Amino acid sequence: MNKNIIEAKGLVKRYGNVDAVKGLSFAIQRGEIFGFLGPNGAGKTTTISMLSCLLEPTQGTALVAEYDVVKASTEVRRRIGLVPQELALYPTLSARDNLNYFGRIYGLCGRALRQRVDEVLEMVNLTERAKAAVKTYSGGMKRRLNIAAGLLHQPEVLFLDEPTVGVDPQSRNAIFEHVERLRDEGMTVIYTTHYMEEAERLCNRVAIIDEGSVVALDTPRKLIADLGGGIIHLGVANGRLSPDLLQQIRSLPQVKSTTRFDSKIEVETVHAQKALVHLLELFNRTNTEITALQVLEPNLETVFLHLTGKQLRDH
Amino acid sequence: MIQQIMSTTWKDLKILFKDFGGVALLFVMPLMFIIVMSTALSGLFDDTTDTNPRLLPVVNLDRGGYGAEVVAALDSIDGIKVETTWEDAALTRDLAETLVANGDRSVIVVFPSDFSAQIAARSENEEATATIELITDPAVSVQFIAPIQGMVLGAAERVAETQVAQAQIASTLASVFAQLPAEMRPSVDRIAIDVEGESVVNLQQVAPAEMNITVYPDTYQQNVPGYTVLGVFFIVGSMAGSILEEKRDGTFRRLLVAPLPRPILLAGKILPYYLVNLIQIALMFGTAHLLFGMSIGNPVALAAISMALASTATGLGIMLAALGKTEAQVSGLTTLLTLTLSALGGCLMPTYIMPSFLQTISQFTPHFWAMQGFQDVLVRGYGLAGILPEAGILLGFAAVFFTIGVWRFRFDQ
Repeated sequence: MNKNIIEAKGLVKRYGNVDAVKGLSFAIQRGEIFGFLGPNGAGKTTTISMLSCLLEPTQGTALVAEYDVVKASTEVRRRIGLVPQELALYPTLSARDNLNYFGRIYGLCGRALRQRVDEVLEMVNLTERAKAAVKTYSGGMKRRLNIAAGLLHQPEVLFLDEPTVGVDPQSRNAIFEHVERLRDEGMTVIYTTHYMEEAERLCNRVAIIDEGSVVALDTPRKLIADLGGGIIHLGVANGRLSPDLLQQIRSLPQVKSTTRFDSKIEVETVHAQKALVHLLELFNRTNTEITALQVLEPNLETVFLHLTGKQLRDH
Repeated sequence: MIQQIMSTTWKDLKILFKDFGGVALLFVMPLMFIIVMSTALSGLFDDTTDTNPRLLPVVNLDRGGYGAEVVAALDSIDGIKVETTWEDAALTRDLAETLVANGDRSVIVVFPSDFSAQIAARSENEEATATIELITDPAVSVQFIAPIQGMVLGAAERVAETQVAQAQIASTLASVFAQLPAEMRPSVDRIAIDVEGESVVNLQQVAPAEMNITVYPDTYQQNVPGYTVLGVFFIVGSMAGSILEEKRDGTFRRLLVAPLPRPILLAGKILPYYLVNLIQIALMFGTAHLLFGMSIGNPVALAAISMALASTATGLGIMLAALGKTEAQVSGLTTLLTLTLSALGGCLMPTYIMPSFLQTISQFTPHFWAMQGFQDVLVRGYGLAGILPEAGILLGFAAVFFTIGVWRFRFDQ
């Protein structure tokens, strides 16, 4: 059996003159939680829409469980489950009615359907409220039911598109636990998010996407380690930063590299706190006025900022 | 607080006007309704004029001259134009029946061959009456027939009573004057003669022979089909709205990922509304039958026309769901189409009172053919064979709507 359950080569999705996805290539291994991390509009949903046969790629190919998403879409659909970003539920129906309906769509019926609905309700801790109309649920309960509906037919691959949007921290943790349990049971989970904490905690590997392209793909630990010990952003008065001073910064202990923007300098460090002491000392000695200072701890957010010059979320 | 209200109002106005199509419909809809209803009802509320006369087809079989006098009297009435030919041929009684049966004319006046003879006989025999036939579509309402009856009867009685009175005057004067001395005989113009007794002329309303009529329509048979057809097309909004809602909420996306052929998914969306339509019709007709004793005619024919109508309505629903981009657009378009087509198709008022150009336009609406089909069954007493043309036309509409709907339907938007 191929250890890769998904293989994409040169995937492109074009709308008119705009490429929403620009030639993505990646492989996802069986039984891993694979994250697509990127800001809104980066192309994450478009990518999983192509992998789940909702959108036909303009160019490129993708295999899911060794079936081509275009040529053998029915076989692919049998093996995948999708939990859309929206709460794709019928609010006036009960949880059980919703699950019964989606189960029947996947061909379940009779005792097998009842049993499976009971199982997934139990799995997401909604058994006691199963008869209540979904519109009476809290945001977290709806999100859990949204996930449950994607699990009814026991898919090999589950696509979770931003599954924690708008939920409280407690429900978010509950969702994380469900996802981890699914992975432990052998399911492959494709997880899109723009929350770097989620990707760091859950994902075995992460593809960082920006403007339709993969800018980095590795384990969260490796991506962070590559960045080093964090980043320091420094702003100087009137953008005055002499080449000589820049050279002195580069030669400081704990500094890996520097990148200069207009009135700002980004300092990649081995250890941010230690580097900061040296930097402040230097600026004091050279009588250079600091107008802005930001220390960014090493995490995926910083990785994204470092790779794209942008933040994952608008603050 | 006022600031919050005003800023919310402004925000919502901005959102609303982003959907230009939806807003346009909000204005177009009442305008269309006013135009269509006012034009359609002009026949009821406006005086007919010499430039826009009401056509009154007449078949004059009278062997004497009185029939022609009545026809001339009718033709001289302002706003009435007597028709005695059809497509350059003289109107005959058989042709008249066919024209009414086909819906080309609603009422045709027929003067029988003994019309003059019966009037002449009245001076001798007080029992004698001359009968004028009105060949009438049973589906035409009393409100429309009554003025025509009044005009025809009035004109005929004026002619007939003049003849009878003259004969009676001559006879009376002859007998009275014969007993008076010549110097006491008064001048004739000072004598008032009262013509007494039963009316000389009567009207007989008949349906075309091919219609199996036992009774004339009651108010329910007139109104129930109209409001039923109107109600059936209201489903269009719910159906199209539901599809757009599923697209918006993501449930459609979830369903599209399932190993389910898209036509099956679409059929699954159509079928419940089709069934709701049939239940609607059954409920309307059942209520009218059970509570008000309305005759429902041939049940097989009624079921056939109902099923064809439901296909058309659901087809229109799919087409609107495919063409409408937002829920506001679909909602506005639905109301516009539902009310305008209902008015044009004769659900709110009979088509025969509409101006002729509007009557022609109404034949391009499915509502018109549904109304014709229901009235064929309820009022005209037709069986399955009789309503096949209407059912066929409705299915034709359904086919066109479904084809456009499925062709333009975007599952992924």
